[in-house]
Amino acid sequence: MWDSIQSVFQPTTSPPQLYRNLAVALIGSFVLLALLHRFLGPRGRRWLIAFVTFVGGLYLGLEYFLPVRTAVLWPTAIPNPNPDRGANLLTPGIEPVGIMMSVIGAFTVGLGIYSLCQVHGRSLGQRRPGWHNSLAFFLAMVAMLVFGFWAHYLPKVDEASAVMPVPRAIYEMLFSGLFMPLQAATFSLLAFYIASAAYRAFRIRTAEAGLMMAAAFIVMIGQVPVGAWVTSGLPTTGALAFFRLEALGEWIMTWLNAPAQRGIVFGVAIGGLAMSLRIWLSLERGTFFSEQG
Amino acid sequence: MAEPRAGFWQRLQQIPRYYVYLLMAAVVIWQILFPIPLPIAPSSATQGVYDAISAVPDDKLILISTDWDASTNAETGPQTEAIVHACLQNDKRFAIMNLHPPMGVKLANDIAEQVAEQYGAEYGVDWCNWGYKYGFANVLIAMAKNIPKTIGDDFYGTPVAELSMMQGVEDIESIGLVIEITGLATITETWIGLIQGVYGTPFASAYTAVMAPGYYPFLDSGQMQGMLVGAKGAAEMEALVTRPAKASVIMNVQSWAHVLIILLIVIGNLGFVLARGPRGQGAP
Amino acid sequence: MGGLEHANWFMSALFGSMCLIIVISVLVAQRGREMFIRRIPGLTAIKEAVGRATEMGRPIFFSPGLRGIEIATLQALAILSYVVRLAAERATRIIVGICEPELYPVAEESVREAYEAAGRPEAFRSDDVRFISNEQFAYALGSVGLMAREQVATNFFFGMFFAESLILAENGQALGALQVAGCPDPVQIPFFIATCDYVVIGDEYYAASAYLTREPTLTGSLVGQDIAKALLVALLILGVGLATYFGAVGNEEYNFLRQLLATGATGS
Repeated sequence: MWDSIQSVFQPTTSPPQLYRNLAVALIGSFVLLALLHRFLGPRGRRWLIAFVTFVGGLYLGLEYFLPVRTAVLWPTAIPNPNPDRGANLLTPGIEPVGIMMSVIGAFTVGLGIYSLCQVHGRSLGQRRPGWHNSLAFFLAMVAMLVFGFWAHYLPKVDEASAVMPVPRAIYEMLFSGLFMPLQAATFSLLAFYIASAAYRAFRIRTAEAGLMMAAAFIVMIGQVPVGAWVTSGLPTTGALAFFRLEALGEWIMTWLNAPAQRGIVFGVAIGGLAMSLRIWLSLERGTFFSEQG
Repeated sequence: MAEPRAGFWQRLQQIPRYYVYLLMAAVVIWQILFPIPLPIAPSSATQGVYDAISAVPDDKLILISTDWDASTNAETGPQTEAIVHACLQNDKRFAIMNLHPPMGVKLANDIAEQVAEQYGAEYGVDWCNWGYKYGFANVLIAMAKNIPKTIGDDFYGTPVAELSMMQGVEDIESIGLVIEITGLATITETWIGLIQGVYGTPFASAYTAVMAPGYYPFLDSGQMQGMLVGAKGAAEMEALVTRPAKASVIMNVQSWAHVLIILLIVIGNLGFVLARGPRGQGAP
Repeated sequence: MGGLEHANWFMSALFGSMCLIIVISVLVAQRGREMFIRRIPGLTAIKEAVGRATEMGRPIFFSPGLRGIEIATLQALAILSYVVRLAAERATRIIVGICEPELYPVAEESVREAYEAAGRPEAFRSDDVRFISNEQFAYALGSVGLMAREQVATNFFFGMFFAESLILAENGQALGALQVAGCPDPVQIPFFIATCDYVVIGDEYYAASAYLTREPTLTGSLVGQDIAKALLVALLILGVGLATYFGAVGNEEYNFLRQLLATGATGS
């Protein structure tokens, strides 16, 4: 029986079985959603969401916390997928659950594209101000889609000897010649923004701000070769070596910055735990504030 | 007399942003065209990465996870190049892989090919590319137990089990060091949580400068053997492998850009302090 | 030495006691006990920021960060619901820019419900919850373009942000928008501090829903998480003390706490 449950989650390569599974999944999901939509009121939906959230959280929590390989919780009929490391009754389900989450995630990409097309389609159709941006969006999306798929489904050729086919060349141009430099250029904008933000925001209004600025200067100069050059007169060993700017900068990063970061991370982690508990137990209000869950 | 002076000091606090941008661009272009060479001293974090590479036993592989794309290429590209140099100079075999973004696998492959050529290193014997593998944590969990089955085909479509350097590579025990090169947060936590923490596989990393401060706690706790911090880390690694390249040029640029930012901050504060006037009135 | 793939008994006990503390605090708070929360300027400023947009008659832009459905993003959605309700009551338009597609339907539903809760369901426009791009910098530039075209008066950045934080906030600042940001990742906080008017730091971020609503359940959970944090700090001090002592006497293998954390058993 366990094998048949497991086999449901195994990928299939046989086309008839694949199409059958696809049809069953699509029709089944559609019927289920239609029924839920028809018969569940807002209160019922809230209960269903709370129930699914609770069961999902319980499964992942129990999988992590249940003792591993104990006689009570590990019936011999179920094969242990990982005999040399810890596994419990729920461990075999982790992979299918992961796949399920990936599939749901993949479907939402379609929703995202639908949203984009809806917004830009309306803007274009109604000639709203800035409609040419929407036109650029559609042109870019169609170009990438068409040439991307075309290049992907071209028959494979020996790359060393053959001339690159036109669709692949266009795709390469769009991807390597346009998309990649745009990404790099956007990231490099940070250099300009950090200069203007630091200039505008860094004011010594208090003694603490003065200390912070001193630390920032040491780290900024210490992190670049000019720092090493400024204090190159100091010895590289012994007590005075500590005062070389690169050493001081590293000291600030490891002895002052790291503990502070760690402190914040501890706080954030426990905050996350409390938030998870509230969501798991549906204690957070409504979809969040509309009604007590 | 007091009025125009206050106006000047206040103007010092309000230099329009496009002048700031222009100054920054000028400094960057000046240092690219006419670099002033500066000494580069490896930090202990960079030294840690180099030492971790040289300490890998000969029967084990170094796994380089190149999880970066064009946006961070200025930092992660030279980091990858310097790390590949360090591997080949120390006669260590290495494999490249990529979890996300998929673009990284091609960019890293180009770099590895170029560097390998300089050393006469052969693909499949001295290095290989496992390609882009979808699934993040699932890939790591599965790979730890069975590398050939999880990885399947390499970047060129050849089953990795057929590569000569992969003979005898079974599971995570065959990996002597994992080096994560990334501009993405949280991949490191996955590596540490699922591989370094569970199997004790040595782990080192290379990050963009902007994200590195968040990872010092892992370095400090010993969960990381070493860390390359942005282009600085790459330049330091280039110095260690005595192959000054792109990152060393970037460091010149970055040095003077930092000096410019400091100067701007000082000018802004000078204006702030002097605009207060003798009665210590605050600037608006 | 192996690490943790499943929790050992010590980790389970530690984790369980933290959860228990939080749940007990929630129950105590639900029985009507008053609990104090200190003032958090970043969260107090939310009303002011919405009010500014109302006064100027311009829209608000809200970014729930770059990640999909995870705890930090769900907290961002909680704040979004609150902001939408405030904005709906004041008849102010709010535009939400989504990066991860999986978040899109959830965010849309949250916004719709918040409009309904504010008694103005007709004011909801589905165009105003927009998927922009799941590419980091395309999202950043798309959002910046949106801010500029719509001439937003206020920006809210709550959620997980990375290198694009500065691009978003610096451009928002250049547009003259009042900006409130919150991010659980400490690395991005300096950039927000340099460019935003108000910033919510560290675990203040997770205090948001309790602080904004003063709902006993949420306030209790907040107090519980502080007690749990104190427990962790006590463990940390004990750990540092023991590590220092055993390190000094050269008997690190007798550090039972370290062994407990790593293996769940002593003397292994």
